[in-house]
Amino acid sequence: MALLSNTAVLLGKELRTEFRSRELLTTTVVFVLLIFMIFSITFHPTTTESQQFGPGLLWVAFLFAASLMLQPCFLREQANDTLSALRLSVSDPFAIFFAKLTANTFFLLLTELLMLPFFAGFFNVRVFAVLPQLIVVFFLGSLGIAIPGTAFSAICAQARMRELMLPLLLLPVLTPILIATTEVTAALLQPEPSMNFAGLAIITGFDVVFLTALWLFGEYLLEE
Amino acid sequence: MLKSTLKASILFVLLAVTAYLAFYYAPIERTMGIIQKIFYLHVSSALSSFVAFSVCFYANLRYVFTRQAKSDWLGVSAAEVGLAFIFVVLITGPIWAHPVWGIWWTWSPRLTLTFVLGLLYVSYLLLRSMIEEPDKRALFSAVFGIFAFLDVPLVYFSIRWWRDQHPTPVIMGGPGSGLEPRMRVSYLLMWGALTGLLILLMNARYKLEALRASVEELRREAEVQ
Amino acid sequence: MKNLDSVLAAYLAGWAIFFVYYISVAQRMSTLREEVERLKSLLTKGK
Repeated sequence: MALLSNTAVLLGKELRTEFRSRELLTTTVVFVLLIFMIFSITFHPTTTESQQFGPGLLWVAFLFAASLMLQPCFLREQANDTLSALRLSVSDPFAIFFAKLTANTFFLLLTELLMLPFFAGFFNVRVFAVLPQLIVVFFLGSLGIAIPGTAFSAICAQARMRELMLPLLLLPVLTPILIATTEVTAALLQPEPSMNFAGLAIITGFDVVFLTALWLFGEYLLEE
Repeated sequence: MLKSTLKASILFVLLAVTAYLAFYYAPIERTMGIIQKIFYLHVSSALSSFVAFSVCFYANLRYVFTRQAKSDWLGVSAAEVGLAFIFVVLITGPIWAHPVWGIWWTWSPRLTLTFVLGLLYVSYLLLRSMIEEPDKRALFSAVFGIFAFLDVPLVYFSIRWWRDQHPTPVIMGGPGSGLEPRMRVSYLLMWGALTGLLILLMNARYKLEALRASVEELRREAEVQ
Repeated sequence: MKNLDSVLAAYLAGWAIFFVYYISVAQRMSTLREEVERLKSLLTKGK
């Protein structure tokens, strides 16, 4: 299928670009560490409080990091007008979005997994036992962040004050993701961990709705 | 000029009448007392704002598929007016809450949803102010508007589900429970009046946007000369 | 009556918001009308 092969090629480009310099990943990782440090000041991380506030703060950290990490997504295509080249190179414009959102999900997931041990250490939370389940939540949640995030990155690339506009557009829309991922993560980090399937359903529903919306309307964001 | 003044006057009279009805005709609620009467305005404004945002969604879709400037004008008008109604909801809510609950705000499902809804459409309007080129502004804000509206049911369900996870004591059974007929009449009349107000405000804002478009065109002509 | 001032405050705030919004639209309208007149006269002078 042309869409998948186009996406694969573009995805390769996105991954190669990032791993050549790794600047996006390193800055995001440092930023999340900074947020953890700031959180440790705002509340006293005893075990009970960490269990209460930890999951929410973890996802707030991921959300803020994502708002920054998604900025260059379409901005870097503006520098040498590579976006027009991209548009010409694919038969389905959705391939551009599909590749970028896959790359963004991957980078987000990588950051989250790298940061998980630090979170566990700093806030004395047991994560290893529920690691597979956490990976599932992280993946679905990152997808939920990346899908509208990639779309809004394309929008903000053409707007003034773009560094401020992206979080302003993205964060209200991501309210269901924040709520659901926090609840699911909290359930997993309890002394008796459990999987909150209703929460997962909400996250999955969000992903499906916005992926469909991006598929239907994304091409208009790429117009000249 | 005279016609619009007449329309506005009729509407304001109607609003005054419904306010009077809410105060005197509708009976005083047993548990809450007179403060319950705020709900006529509060709930009706919330309903009207949802109507406005639905119109905005429709206009956004129309613009994306037809690229007619009229749809863009309708979209921004509906969003702004919807936001005005949301502000009314967000102000009347705390004014009610403070005497009843002793607190100004709580993250109850309805209030949280209203707050997020307000933020979504404030972002919509801010985005518009950040894109200068008219066609691009219309297209991009339309796409964002579509995304924002699709988000609304997700926000609603996730907040409801979240609150079900952490049940809090319900202080009263919700404004719709067991409505006395006189209260129902007051609600309907208030909502009718606010719908009229909605149409009036949207109409005025639409005309403003149309005028702005013609000013831009005239400016372009003047530059050419 | 208890809380009557809250009820009045709420309704007053509500009507005020609608009123202020309507006035702001009307004001922007008249500013734009003046701009239209100015541009029109500029164009006719140019011709």
